[in-house]
Amino acid sequence: MEAPDLSLRGVAFARLSEGRVVARGTFESVGYVRPGGRLTALRGAASLEPEPGTPFDSWGTVHVVAPSTTGELAAQRFTATGGVRMNAARGDSAVTERVRYDGTAGSVESDTPLDAQGPGYRLHGNGLLARTDGSSIAITGGVTGSMELEARQ
Amino acid sequence: MALLLAAAALPQGSVDFSAGQMRIDSKERRVHLDGEVKIVRGDLTVTGDHAVAFYAAQQKKALGTSVGGQSIDRFTVDGHVHVQRAARTGEGEHGDLNMVEQTMVLTGAPEAPPVLREGDETLSGDRILFHLDNDDVDVQKPRLVLRRAMPDEKAPVPMRVEATSLMVQKARQVAHFAGNVVVHREDMIVKSPRMDAIYDKDGQLTRLELRGGVDLREGDRRATGENADYDARTRIVVLTGDPRLYDRGDMLTGDRIDMALASKDVHIERVRGRVRPDAHKDETEAPR
Repeated sequence: MEAPDLSLRGVAFARLSEGRVVARGTFESVGYVRPGGRLTALRGAASLEPEPGTPFDSWGTVHVVAPSTTGELAAQRFTATGGVRMNAARGDSAVTERVRYDGTAGSVESDTPLDAQGPGYRLHGNGLLARTDGSSIAITGGVTGSMELEARQ
Repeated sequence: MALLLAAAALPQGSVDFSAGQMRIDSKERRVHLDGEVKIVRGDLTVTGDHAVAFYAAQQKKALGTSVGGQSIDRFTVDGHVHVQRAARTGEGEHGDLNMVEQTMVLTGAPEAPPVLREGDETLSGDRILFHLDNDDVDVQKPRLVLRRAMPDEKAPVPMRVEATSLMVQKARQVAHFAGNVVVHREDMIVKSPRMDAIYDKDGQLTRLELRGGVDLREGDRRATGENADYDARTRIVVLTGDPRLYDRGDMLTGDRIDMALASKDVHIERVRGRVRPDAHKDETEAPR
């Protein structure tokens, strides 16, 4: 592994978009390699604020933790591994071994088994392919689960 | 008819599913399931190639677009649809499972209509509607095949029934056929505008009640009347309402005509008519 040009401990970050904080979080340590803008971060935790009016808006604040994250800042591509967990204020939660985020493409992918549950649903799949704007979410590779039914009138 | 014997209403709560892939379309508020789809609710199992789960209509308005957090009120299933509930199975090309109304509609194509089976009995039609809460069944253009042996028969003789519509009411143990009802059994054909088939608690046919003008043909014999009642135990048809029997030139009428299907015996009350013995001179007595 290439030695980082910059090593940081106890890192806090925030991401702004159109004047509002859309994500904030911490990493226990971050190693940054200038060529390619590559970084390796350990023990990350982030809180994401879904954009109002999008399908994820109803989730409320989303908390994500990942033991390890690598990626390229300039390309906005990151891979979180080691057991990625998500919890939303609404009560949704999900866990999978590895997640890839591509900010340019606006996609989130996973090729490892995934368990998710929340109000009205529970599911297990073997992969994930989703748009970050929530317009499409696919659970791939075989899926099982349950969905809440509307009460009989 | 065993199709009358099935399970009770589906329980409330959630539905289990499995599929090759699941896609949540938050804008359309639907969930698409593709590839070997299986939906299980209590003792009801539905399988097919594709399914779409629809979020409850009222929640659509309240929540707008949302990922999860809503309940499902309806599924559609397409491609090799198979329905199983207790001993009853159904097949079709398209299924519509409405969880709020507790109904399942099966449809197909003209060359491959939906089919409902239970044991040796087969019911097909243009459209089959199951009421999952009381197990009633409504069928458009029903074609029913019964393959039960009568008490005095060694092998079952299929009986086919066709009509414009069929409504099976489990609680009353009756099947209402309506519109151009036609019953075929061996060389017997019976036509009537309406027919009720009545069953016992074991699903065994006990009685057929035909109303509105009955036309029965069996070999060279023909019988007509306003009404006909068939007793499955005795295998006797009773024609009333200006009943008439036509048999190679003979025409008999009376207050009531009893026809024994097994022995071919006929009993007529207050008989009147015209008999032409010369039309029967070559006949030998039928074996009893």
